[in-house]
Amino acid sequence: MAITFTGLNYIYQANTPFEYHALKDINLTIPDDSYTAIIGHTGSGKSTLLQHLNGLLKPTSGSLEVNGQLITPQTKNKQLGALRKQVGFVFQFPEAQLFEETVLKDIAFGPQNFGKSQAEALEIAKQMAQLVNLPASLWEKSPFELSGGQMRRVAIAGILAMTPKTLILDEPTAGLDPKGRLEMMEMFYRLHQEEKLNIILVTHNMDDVANYADNVVVLEGGQVLKTGSPQEVFAEPAWLKKHHLGLPKTTAFAQKLVERGFKLDKLPLKEKQLAEKLVALIGGTDHE
Amino acid sequence: MSKFLLGRYINGDSLVHQMDARAKLALSIYFIAIIFLANNWATYGLLLILVLACVLLSKIKLGFFLRGVAAMIWLIIFTVLLQVFFTTGGHVYWHWGILNLTQVGLVRGAYVFCRFVLIIFMSTLLTLTTSPLEISDGLESLMKPLKYLKVPVYEIALMLSIALRFVPTLLDETQKIMNAQRSRGVNFGEGKLLDQIKAVIPLLIPLFVSAINRAEDLATAMEARGYRGGEGRTKYRQQVWQLKDSLALVVFGLVTVGLIFLRTW
Repeated sequence: MAITFTGLNYIYQANTPFEYHALKDINLTIPDDSYTAIIGHTGSGKSTLLQHLNGLLKPTSGSLEVNGQLITPQTKNKQLGALRKQVGFVFQFPEAQLFEETVLKDIAFGPQNFGKSQAEALEIAKQMAQLVNLPASLWEKSPFELSGGQMRRVAIAGILAMTPKTLILDEPTAGLDPKGRLEMMEMFYRLHQEEKLNIILVTHNMDDVANYADNVVVLEGGQVLKTGSPQEVFAEPAWLKKHHLGLPKTTAFAQKLVERGFKLDKLPLKEKQLAEKLVALIGGTDHE
Repeated sequence: MSKFLLGRYINGDSLVHQMDARAKLALSIYFIAIIFLANNWATYGLLLILVLACVLLSKIKLGFFLRGVAAMIWLIIFTVLLQVFFTTGGHVYWHWGILNLTQVGLVRGAYVFCRFVLIIFMSTLLTLTTSPLEISDGLESLMKPLKYLKVPVYEIALMLSIALRFVPTLLDETQKIMNAQRSRGVNFGEGKLLDQIKAVIPLLIPLFVSAINRAEDLATAMEARGYRGGEGRTKYRQQVWQLKDSLALVVFGLVTVGLIFLRTW
């Protein structure tokens, strides 16, 4: 039931002078139960790619298959309803999508659209509000009275309330404070681990990629440049630099250590890995 | 929304692009006025030559102008049909109830059609060759005389240029919110009329809220940069009246004389 792109092209405003070829011959498989990070420069086609996953955009040519549903240029909008329930999409700055009178009603909006009764939907909404750490005192307030961070939580809860199988996150933590960021990312990771939620994350933050993802897709100029595990993608700092991509902080620091003569067999991605390696190195000298 | 051509600007370097916005604005308005002088084929012919010459000078493909017409085609057809079937006079070709197909009616219909097409061509030419900022600058200086009638010309121009600047931003925002709500299961433009109207609420409310927030932020940012209103400000973009602008005025003047001559001829 994975997600497969086959020779997919997408052209914005085809046949006008404003034509723009955003995705070029994408062939890509995103396995089930994976936490996939999509990285690439601004304008590399990340957002366009994401919008194909729940049928907001349909390919100009080629096709993709999402959880068993085939989407081709001919696919009708009516056939995409079921897909939208399966694929939850957290847009950049999702707090812009809030509109209901109360927080709970807004969270319940999605499930209600997909056929849940009002009572059921409100029950789900309460669970989701707890899941994203919204204090119960806010549940009956208007979403517009909340702070930016709280609004973001409401919006994300509204997506999770549809109980999607695949969750798309387009820079979900942009503009949040460090504590909010960490909480949010940990929550997504927990959902991935415990509920087997398939997560697709677009981010410019390489630390998040290193800490959470198990699969990385690098896009450039509308084409897939590289796919692989974070270890594989971050293994060659020179290649990344050439394509204007950064390293996770830990890896960058480890690389500096290597340049100064430390011997690390491969570059670590997470702080813990680096710490263990350094301890091992120090321990090694101890025995001499 | 991508097919929306009205008000789109195409960057270029033709003679028409280089003209002063004030001249282009004034001439476009003037053109709409003189088109009512036309009353026979010779006069329409003269106007057609004028419009085609302008289009050629702009170096923009004719297809764009035709698309502008296509966008309005139903309004045009409706008006033409009204003229054709409800005008009496001349030879009657066909008659049914209050509907008449007469010679005068057919000619009138053709004239109305020409009028529409010519006006659309000319206004499309203005927007295709003049950037929105130039248009608002041009309008501001054309409205200057109204100052003496206590019209807040500067404020109108400011609002206009801010509005023009935010049209694409708001369109993007609309598209984004629409996508977000679609992902939450809203079907825009489907189902019964009442459902369709209901579906607009999750789009409109966030859009208004975001517009208000944007306005607040913009006002704060403007004040922080020392904006105190229109009095005593200098201008960064200077408008330069060139020889070609004067020449264009002369050409249009000659066409007007020609029209008046051909009208009675």
